[in-house]
Amino acid sequence: MAVVDTNSNPIRRETKPMKALVLNGGRKAGDGTDAVEALLLRQLEEAGCEVEAVRLRNENIGTCKGCFGCWTNTPGVCRIDDAGRSVAAEVVSSDLAVLLSPLTFGGYSFELKKVVDRLIPLISPLFMRIDGETHHRPRYRSYPRLLGIGVAKRPDPDEVRVFKTLVERNALNFHAPAHGVEVLCLTEAEAKTNEKINAQLARLRKQS
Amino acid sequence: MTAPKRALLMTGSPKNGRSTSEALGSTLMGHLADAGIETESVRLGKVAGNEENFHGFLPSLKRADLVILSFPLYADSLPAHTTRVLEWIAAERKERPCVNPQRFAVIVNCGFPEAAQCDTALAICRCFAAETGLDWAGGLAMGAGGAVAGRPLESRGRMMKKVLQALEQAAEALARGQDIPAEAVSLMARPIMPARIYLSMGTLGFKRKAKKQGALKHFKDQPYSLAAQKAEHGQNEPTGTQ
Repeated sequence: MAVVDTNSNPIRRETKPMKALVLNGGRKAGDGTDAVEALLLRQLEEAGCEVEAVRLRNENIGTCKGCFGCWTNTPGVCRIDDAGRSVAAEVVSSDLAVLLSPLTFGGYSFELKKVVDRLIPLISPLFMRIDGETHHRPRYRSYPRLLGIGVAKRPDPDEVRVFKTLVERNALNFHAPAHGVEVLCLTEAEAKTNEKINAQLARLRKQS
Repeated sequence: MTAPKRALLMTGSPKNGRSTSEALGSTLMGHLADAGIETESVRLGKVAGNEENFHGFLPSLKRADLVILSFPLYADSLPAHTTRVLEWIAAERKERPCVNPQRFAVIVNCGFPEAAQCDTALAICRCFAAETGLDWAGGLAMGAGGAVAGRPLESRGRMMKKVLQALEQAAEALARGQDIPAEAVSLMARPIMPARIYLSMGTLGFKRKAKKQGALKHFKDQPYSLAAQKAEHGQNEPTGTQ
């Protein structure tokens, strides 16, 4: 484990404690996501952030039914009454949301995707145009910065490219004020992984 | 390229009843059946329910030499339950590789007018095919899927003309063992109506439904805002709205 220089930690310069939420979409212990979660928590805590991590595989979260009830019946709240609601509430009250997942065909694992689909109540059913494309309007005044982290034994370059686009698209659709993406290789040295995470946090700080 | 004998449609919509994904997929399957191909359809909502259901579905998957996945775009990607089934298929094929060649084609529809918003989901499907040893036969992306509203395409009038042509062309190629042609991809991606009209109809539809549910006055509520949370906990602050 490389020692993190907290004085140089980019998040430390925040004027108020940053609230960070790590959504861990790992399928099982040992797939690398828990180790990355630990590194993230350490860096964020050392930087003075309020941090919470949720191991989604341990949570009772149903999948989106596509009913649009969160827009038309109970606006802003999913009709499925389970932990998916509280995770959505935590996401929108965070300053930084980390989407951590084993790289899954260039996308998110089921465990992470079940939550991402349940974030739809956080946006409005009404439409707007962004750079010539249609998107849903924001429901809230502010949204968290988004950091997507994919983890793989041997990341396939095509999958890495797709993952980066996916996080970028999600950031656009969920109105993230800034976003970062990193794909970590399970076989690389921990110091290098730490360095990459640190660089992403620095970039997010700059973009805020 | 060998012509397929058996085709399987996997519908990735979570809806138990009719869905746009199923309407699109079943139209394609109809053309394949007309070409003499044996067809079968499954809804992945049930398959994803538990591993027992998945194992019950496996014989259908293994029998098929052409697999079609039709799904709605959810957050720039596939719906979660569909992702779960693809993960299980990948794990199964890793453990017990399929000896027969299988081709894989995709239809994705999104609620936005721009079909191009489906590109990332198509790329994910292509990566899935590469990882699991399925032969990628291409994908069709359609925008303004809400205009289908799960009804048979033929009943939706002239606006479906290009979509129907695209599905017919795609089916003809797939029935010959070929990839979905570029012309079909292009036809499918064409706007089925002016975006302005589609979005106005969509907005009206959402508002009408909210009104019917008595929720229109809460349409812009921010239930997880600090103000709303305080109000809920008796601190007498108004619910925030934008």
